[in-house]
Amino acid sequence: MRHEAGAAVRVRLLAPDSREGSAVVAERVIRLDGELLSETFVELTDTMVADFDVIDFLHVLTDRSVKLLDVSAAGLLLADPRGELRVVAASSEAARVLELFQLQNDQGPCLDCFRTGQPVSAADLDAEAERWPTFAAAARQSGFAAVQALPMRLRDQVIGALNLFRASAGAFDLSDVRVGQALADVATISLLHERNLRRSDILNEQLQTALNSRVVIEQAKGKLAERLGLEMEQAFSLLRDHARNRNLRLAELAQAFIDGTLTLAGQTAAARPRTTARTSQPDGRPRPSPSPVPPASRSRPAADRGQSVVKELGEGG
Amino acid sequence: MTSDRGGRVWGLVASQASLRGGRVTAADACTAAAAAVQVSGAWLIAAAGLEAGYLMWVTDEVSEHLAELELTLGEGPSLDVSASGGPVLASDLGTGEAARRWPVFALAALQAGAGAIFAFPLRIGAIRAGVLGLYRARPGPLTAFQLGDALVFADAATLLLLEAQDEAAGGGRTPAGPGSRPADLALHRAEIDQATGMLTEQLGTGIAEALLRLRAYAYAHDRRLSDVAGDIVARRLRLSPDPYSGGEW
Repeated sequence: MRHEAGAAVRVRLLAPDSREGSAVVAERVIRLDGELLSETFVELTDTMVADFDVIDFLHVLTDRSVKLLDVSAAGLLLADPRGELRVVAASSEAARVLELFQLQNDQGPCLDCFRTGQPVSAADLDAEAERWPTFAAAARQSGFAAVQALPMRLRDQVIGALNLFRASAGAFDLSDVRVGQALADVATISLLHERNLRRSDILNEQLQTALNSRVVIEQAKGKLAERLGLEMEQAFSLLRDHARNRNLRLAELAQAFIDGTLTLAGQTAAARPRTTARTSQPDGRPRPSPSPVPPASRSRPAADRGQSVVKELGEGG
Repeated sequence: MTSDRGGRVWGLVASQASLRGGRVTAADACTAAAAAVQVSGAWLIAAAGLEAGYLMWVTDEVSEHLAELELTLGEGPSLDVSASGGPVLASDLGTGEAARRWPVFALAALQAGAGAIFAFPLRIGAIRAGVLGLYRARPGPLTAFQLGDALVFADAATLLLLEAQDEAAGGGRTPAGPGSRPADLALHRAEIDQATGMLTEQLGTGIAEALLRLRAYAYAHDRRLSDVAGDIVARRLRLSPDPYSGGEW
């Protein structure tokens, strides 16, 4: 069943491509992890499932890009309905920071790609100091030597861009670029071709919710970094560890920490969760704090929650 | 693209205020949003700390009825918005989906004259200022453009509510409304969010107050918000708990 769906997707996807392009992609399917590729295409078209989560969906795109292609990391920018580009997914913290860096400095391949709707590539970032003075330096410092940006585009509408980073310099494999573009295309079509009104409403609700969660997490990082004299990345790791230990979603934990309904003083909080750890729901209504051993009666299964925290943020924050 | 939209939206809010003959308030953002997004009416709920909010402004009787229905029934889009932190977009209240979501409210809202409801959280991360509700007599989705506008109106209403709350608490250091350089309000930027979180510790305040102090500092020193935030995150700048002592080390 899944396999059939995957095959059907591939046919549809390759039909508009050039004959040569189709051949290359098909070859890649065989040469690389064909099963994972088919599975990924199915996942990227299967937006009708009951528990569809747009952020998980976008993380599939970045994570699978790294698994399927010869790249070290991937990041994804998407235009929100306000018209602002936002970092919505990344395969690693380094990639996420670089995407943010591009937005903050208004410079870089992902922005060029989004604005032109065309792929942008740089085989050697050492040679791009003129094109992107600050981005090239920042990317090199993060350990990346080459970058490829692919548009998320359907006809005239560009909704975002997928950035692929590689640690070693050199041109990107042509078939990798084609497969990466195919993944981005399928994801774009899935996002734009919502079959009905409700799906489209849900998608926008989820995207905005996730973006606000991200803001809460950044605020909590700042608060914790200042309180304990940490770097932002250290503060993030600490928050993430606490969320995992307490079996809370990271955004939930971050909100409670800022509200002052949850204490996070290094190890001390973990040592006395019963008396100090009260979490609050996003609307502020307190609810009983989780005991050190997470109760099984939570609305989502424990494993799901932990996983969704990771997915929500890629590997970093 | 963004600053154009921000400028246009703030312009509409300011026009609404001058039409009314008063200072710019969140109520003006609510009224202007209803007109610009082309819905039938709008309401504004102001949050009171962590408590449930109160109905602050309505543009018509149906809006008032809808807001009251939610409070009476204990279910509905504004309450969901408060819980999830994300918007609720219910393009058709007549569907089974809407009935499942709000078993009592959906039908009551239809009878009250609403075919579609869109509710937006007035939030900046952990800062809760309230909810902006919009309804349309006939079902149908917001266009992407209208959704974008609605979100920016919600951003404007958020800032205006925060400023009003600050003023009510004896603050009033923050410039109100469009004079505060709306194009610079790129509140999503990670550094601004991080700096806001850091200031809660430096100033010993809540998160909303921390943001207001950050903005006030940028305004008073005629600097971009993002630049000031960058200095705070890089630990080149600290603000002092006493706002009148200058605050720069």
